[in-house]
Amino acid sequence: MSLQLQPVQVATGSEDQESQLVFHEGFLVAILVRLSDLHETDAGKWFLEAGFGRVTDISGPTFADIDEAQAWICARLGSSGT
Amino acid sequence: MQDNDTAGAEDGTSRPDGRAANPLILKLESLAPLSADDRAVLERISAKPHLVPAGTDLIGEGDKPDGVYLVLDGIACRYKLRASGARQIMAYLVPGDYCDLDVAMLKAMDHSIGTLSACHVVRISLDVIQALLRDHPGITHALRLATLVDEATLREWLVNVGRRSAEERIAHLMCELLLRLRAVGRTAGDGYALPITQEDLADTTGLTSVHVNRTLGSLKQRGLIALSGRQLRILDLAGLETLAEFKPNYLHLGGRDAA
Repeated sequence: MSLQLQPVQVATGSEDQESQLVFHEGFLVAILVRLSDLHETDAGKWFLEAGFGRVTDISGPTFADIDEAQAWICARLGSSGT
Repeated sequence: MQDNDTAGAEDGTSRPDGRAANPLILKLESLAPLSADDRAVLERISAKPHLVPAGTDLIGEGDKPDGVYLVLDGIACRYKLRASGARQIMAYLVPGDYCDLDVAMLKAMDHSIGTLSACHVVRISLDVIQALLRDHPGITHALRLATLVDEATLREWLVNVGRRSAEERIAHLMCELLLRLRAVGRTAGDGYALPITQEDLADTTGLTSVHVNRTLGSLKQRGLIALSGRQLRILDLAGLETLAEFKPNYLHLGGRDAA
């Protein structure tokens, strides 16, 4: 499964700005935001700012790097659950 | 400057012997008048607290209730856990708060009660509670009012997680805690100890830790609060109340009957 990333800046109302729109088969499935120094030990991690459809997750997971985030999104898209 | 004021020192609730006044008595007296005898009984039942470390269950979901837990210091909470480990906190027990007088009517707890910070806690046996309710109508009246306030607070928290923004949720909680802690002499001016983690705040307000962190940053940047260590100072109370649309009516403070 391949995902397409598009760098953007998201107005989160904080220093967390560097972001990626994540597309799958032309559909926007997630928005990942890189956590700024505001988050101390979590700085540099990627945060699931928003997920759509099967990628929805209200717990707001964070990922050590963009590859881990993509793997998680792929697993969600590949799963048969809702 | 580090804001390390000792809670209770500035609100006229310290006793001549230097010990903070009994928060249960202060809480109940904020709702209804008590007699000297009532106060003496309440002092007696809360005389020997034990120290419970942070993150400890006082009673867990499914347990048979074995008494009423009264918090004299620290913050505990009511919570439920999902199978995934996700936690929702439904209430804070601050000094003077206790859980469920009529809990003995239940065979098993439907939620858990645990400490968020280290707490001084007293477990009051169900027999003692029964005697209290039987022999002390003034206390009974105040306890019933307190139950109404607990229910009203739960309604307000439901509005919080359902219909308020991240900033509004946290601002509302901070305004509420100021009044609740002030009623039991645990504030210093417009500040108080908030010995809980951002994760606790997230699980209370239905937000992620990331959003809590951003929101606290925003409230600080707007000059509404200062948070240093675990000490919160509200710098602009009117501004925070306006942001949260905070109306303290549900707390029924001031000794008037709840309506």
